[in-house]
Amino acid sequence: MRWCACIAAALAIALPALGQPAPLPVDKAFRFTARALNPETVEARFAIADGYYLYRDRIHFSVDPADAGLVVPVLPEGKVKEDQFFGRVETYRGSITVNLGIKNAAVGQKVVIQAESQGCWDFGICYPPQIQRVAVPLNAATAVPARGGEPTKKGWLE
Amino acid sequence: MALAAGLYFGWRADQPTDASTLLALSLPDPSGRSQPLNQWKGKVLVVNFWATWCTPCREEMPEFVKAQRELGSQGLQFVGIAVDEPDKAERFASDIGLNYPVLIGGYGAIELSRTLGNRVVALPFTIIVDRQGHVAHSQLGPLKPAQLSAIVSKLL
Repeated sequence: MRWCACIAAALAIALPALGQPAPLPVDKAFRFTARALNPETVEARFAIADGYYLYRDRIHFSVDPADAGLVVPVLPEGKVKEDQFFGRVETYRGSITVNLGIKNAAVGQKVVIQAESQGCWDFGICYPPQIQRVAVPLNAATAVPARGGEPTKKGWLE
Repeated sequence: MALAAGLYFGWRADQPTDASTLLALSLPDPSGRSQPLNQWKGKVLVVNFWATWCTPCREEMPEFVKAQRELGSQGLQFVGIAVDEPDKAERFASDIGLNYPVLIGGYGAIELSRTLGNRVVALPFTIIVDRQGHVAHSQLGPLKPAQLSAIVSKLL
């Protein structure tokens, strides 16, 4: 009875009060962004939707080209959870920011930062491990925006 | 019936009524032997997509073991499709005394679950197929024992 499933789906989306909210697509639940703070530092960030979490030990970074020389610091501490199978695990909620080092790239070179991650939703579903990639031009430090919040031209502060 | 669907713990997926894509599938078991799903045609088949990296998946499986033990003789058949490495899936299956087959789906299987209604491609995802080969129920999220029982009792 297809119409019945359609109405159920519509209700589940339109009237969350009647049931659980619908799960988010994975790239909305865990948004990955990266930008250069300066030519040797890339700020990598996961914005995690409310009610969702990432596993600390399932986050891995890499850079393309590999010889750009990625330096990954120790990740911040997460919230400790006891997992029946894996034992002690740490999770992140809200957002997590990691400053990655780039040792061997030229100013203005574009590198691709790749982040692997795996996360779940409190309502009891888990997404498969994801790979997200962001191209980052390694620009010189950008100035803090002026009082009016005007954006500054990227890279003019050499 | 529409309201009852909204109150399930889990989300009703888009329902393909015909399970023939699923039943036409063959997947390797952890030893690498190819297992066609149509060997279970005529059973009330509960196909559960799971993974060791999915905590809610692992947590619901002991109840599936119980249901398999209690209702297997009446024609209930669980099949676990592990989106996982064979040795990890096998180790967990052995740890919990799994009494139903595990097949290794790999990441291709999770794409298959998308075509079967798993729009956000997450786990656990379960499809219940009646004896005639039609999808009786599909669900993203844990399947509680009472809910499972209510669905299969009508099909057995």
